[in-house]
Amino acid sequence: MQNFDVVVIGSGPGGYVSAIRSSQLGFKTAIVEREALGGVCLNVGCIPSKAMITATHHLHKAQFDFSEMGLIIKGPVTVDMKKLVSWKQSVCDRMSNGVQSLLKGNKVTIVQGQANFTSSTQIQVSTKSGTEDISAKYFIIATGSRPIEIPGFPYDEKDIVSSTGALAFDEIPKKVVTIGGGYIGLEISSYLKKLGSEVTILEAQSSLLSGVVDPDCAQVVSKKLIKNGVQVYLSTKAKSQKKTKAGYEVTIEKEGKEEKILADKILVTVGRKPNGDQMNFKAAGVLLDERGFVKVDAQRRTSSQNIFAIGDIAGQPMLAHKASYEGILVAEVLAGHNRVYDVKTVPAVVFTDPEIASVGLTEKEASQKGNGILVSKFPFAANGRAVSMMETEGFVKIIADSKTHVVLGVHIVGPEASNLISEAALAIEMGARLEDLALTIHPHPTLGETMMEAAEATLGHAIHIIQRPLK
Amino acid sequence: MATDIKLPELGEGINEGELIKWLVKPGDQVKPDQAVAEIMTDKATVEVPSPSSGTIKELKFKEGDVIKVDSVIISMEAMTTSVATPAAAKSAATASKPAAATITAPVSAAPASTPLTSTPSFFPPVAESRVLATPATRRLAREINVDINELQGSGLAGRVTQDDVLSAKDSNSTSSVTKAPATQFPKPSYQGPTGSLEERVPLRGIRKKIAENLQMAKHIIPHFTLMDEANVSELVKMREGLKDLAEKNQTKITYLPFVIKALVSTMREYPMFNASIDDQAQEIVYKKYFNIGFAADTPNGLVVPVIKNADQKTILELSKEIIELSKKARDGKLKPDEMKGATISITNIGSVGGTYATPIINHPEVAILGMYKIQDKLTLKDTQVVAQKAMNYTITADHRLIDGAVAANFLKSMISKLENPAVLMMNMY
Repeated sequence: MQNFDVVVIGSGPGGYVSAIRSSQLGFKTAIVEREALGGVCLNVGCIPSKAMITATHHLHKAQFDFSEMGLIIKGPVTVDMKKLVSWKQSVCDRMSNGVQSLLKGNKVTIVQGQANFTSSTQIQVSTKSGTEDISAKYFIIATGSRPIEIPGFPYDEKDIVSSTGALAFDEIPKKVVTIGGGYIGLEISSYLKKLGSEVTILEAQSSLLSGVVDPDCAQVVSKKLIKNGVQVYLSTKAKSQKKTKAGYEVTIEKEGKEEKILADKILVTVGRKPNGDQMNFKAAGVLLDERGFVKVDAQRRTSSQNIFAIGDIAGQPMLAHKASYEGILVAEVLAGHNRVYDVKTVPAVVFTDPEIASVGLTEKEASQKGNGILVSKFPFAANGRAVSMMETEGFVKIIADSKTHVVLGVHIVGPEASNLISEAALAIEMGARLEDLALTIHPHPTLGETMMEAAEATLGHAIHIIQRPLK
Repeated sequence: MATDIKLPELGEGINEGELIKWLVKPGDQVKPDQAVAEIMTDKATVEVPSPSSGTIKELKFKEGDVIKVDSVIISMEAMTTSVATPAAAKSAATASKPAAATITAPVSAAPASTPLTSTPSFFPPVAESRVLATPATRRLAREINVDINELQGSGLAGRVTQDDVLSAKDSNSTSSVTKAPATQFPKPSYQGPTGSLEERVPLRGIRKKIAENLQMAKHIIPHFTLMDEANVSELVKMREGLKDLAEKNQTKITYLPFVIKALVSTMREYPMFNASIDDQAQEIVYKKYFNIGFAADTPNGLVVPVIKNADQKTILELSKEIIELSKKARDGKLKPDEMKGATISITNIGSVGGTYATPIINHPEVAILGMYKIQDKLTLKDTQVVAQKAMNYTITADHRLIDGAVAANFLKSMISKLENPAVLMMNMY
């Protein structure tokens, strides 16, 4: 039987990071992965979807913006889907191989197979060549989450698909029905629409991205989707589907009335659930909460003293960067460092068109905290770089404490929002005030100037928009 | 499956306890929550519950050992794989209420943490606190064992700076962060004449805590004491008249509840007696609640149980609570919570004897009332010699906050109420 100091189960952005740091700290470390190294994120999540979104963004620019800029392409711009898919795959492979070399370079033993706990100090891994028992002083569970399935729409990952199946389409579908207007549904729907699919989004709530992002930000994206020709049905439920000669007939219910929509692909993106039901946690004494997440404390220790859990399986928010932070945290806790999950905020990004990114409190949360707040927006339309990019939709919104001017939340919808948000995250973690943002020279001409101007706007005196004096 | 029972968190700032008694022996079957050991801390005696069911394999310590929190005290063979939520140490007095033993980690901004009730050995995360500090400063604080959530920042908008953290470390050599100013007491050694008959016992437990507290109080507070005599003939009569009623209510009535009522009523007139000085913030804290501590002599030494919100309780309720808390104090079963949060204290050595004493204030309170034996006295009243019941009172106060004349007026006002208990009725709630 192999014996290690630390065994990490799952090699996503939580697991592989944790394994590398564990090894750096001198632990004899192994990592167990049942599928491809890098997990959902690198193989069937964040990275491939970004490849598709980037490609279709260029396509859209070429089709709609180039002529206005005087760039003429003779004949229509067309898509070679086979080529696109293989390029996307090459991106994933490159990332996954990168993870493999990093693990090897850090002397982490890689075990391919499905792990199950047999006790709190031992797992059994089912590999291609049989089963293997592995014992360790510490286990780090990083087994993530999977798409939620809804009744009546069982995944076959060809026609009725989750994000995984949708990212693997090797032909451009003609008609797609997306069930669930959350961030995953919108990201995929946006690029499918740009590829030429007819897309209908069904959302049970009364708005898209409901409860996920700032409502004003969601509104900008919602408008753009509709402008680009996506059909959006709000307050609508998907009841059932039936396969017919013409494709799938999806029965929907809107305001008590039933309707039927035809589609050749059905994308179900109603959320993800933790993989707490796998791996026989019971044998290890690892307890779950009522939603299926592994119960952990602020050091990410589970109810079993030598077992830790990180990432999606350890609780919301289910975001890769939170998992990576926890991965490093746990490795350092094992090494005896005094660490806890000690962040003020976790930034979130949505790669819609335009992008949404947010960090800190929402307006509602901030005003509920009791201290008065200051809120202001600065539009990308007033930013030179955004205009020169022909990307003028959206704004930067800053929420600050009215007395201390400490920045409480930043919500961005617009070009490169995902890259702009890091400055805001740093501001919140550092306890920055509006003046700190406003008095830092931001280079011109960049999108980043909007952050400085939004801070000025919140203080009542932005330069590039006309503001009435604040009371 | 083998499991270990660890010594759980025993209370705020308590990091060790003395093993008084094992309640199980190797081979015993235990159920979840069954008490396995009695541990005495410097505040109370608590029982350690078993987190799960199983068979005791080995006891890791001897009775009398001092054990650090989080040490494994028992190794056990578990019966089932279901691990019950590790329970916090429960006070022996009541099993229904958990002792204020566990630090509950607040849920972080990302609701990613579902706090387990095990024994966290770390300060809570900053996500929910108002503390403003950079990530690097937060990490520094953890590394040098300073709870940043407790610090007042000196930076802009109240930011806690690296210097704030480092100076907090300096002022807390004991690593527990308090608002009290830095105090370094000399620790002279004692060497008796060679060959003389002496016995050395470790200074520990309740005695150690008493020593530390009193030393700190005397060091910080400039004490002064005023003394006076009250004619309590009326009060004695009144109490005699109430004995039957008390018996019907299954309780006994002492003088203490009346004194508490008079004290609370007088504190309303003189709020500086119901206050504290926050030395670090350089502020006076006036309290709008009345929690009365009363000194109780126990076989292990002095403890001060606290009657919470005494202003909202009737004489009967106070009587019952005093009897109950005194019994718990004698049995060493007070919960830490029952000895915390007093706003003023009373010392009553009347039952033993002595005419006057100069007690020490229970810091951070600013005053302590002394009450003494009731004696028959002859006194002159309008040229007539009359018999009266006389009772001595002292008020000892923190001279930083309370002037001599104010204390004199305070004592006078309180004595007038005790001499004429009908006045007390005027202020009853």
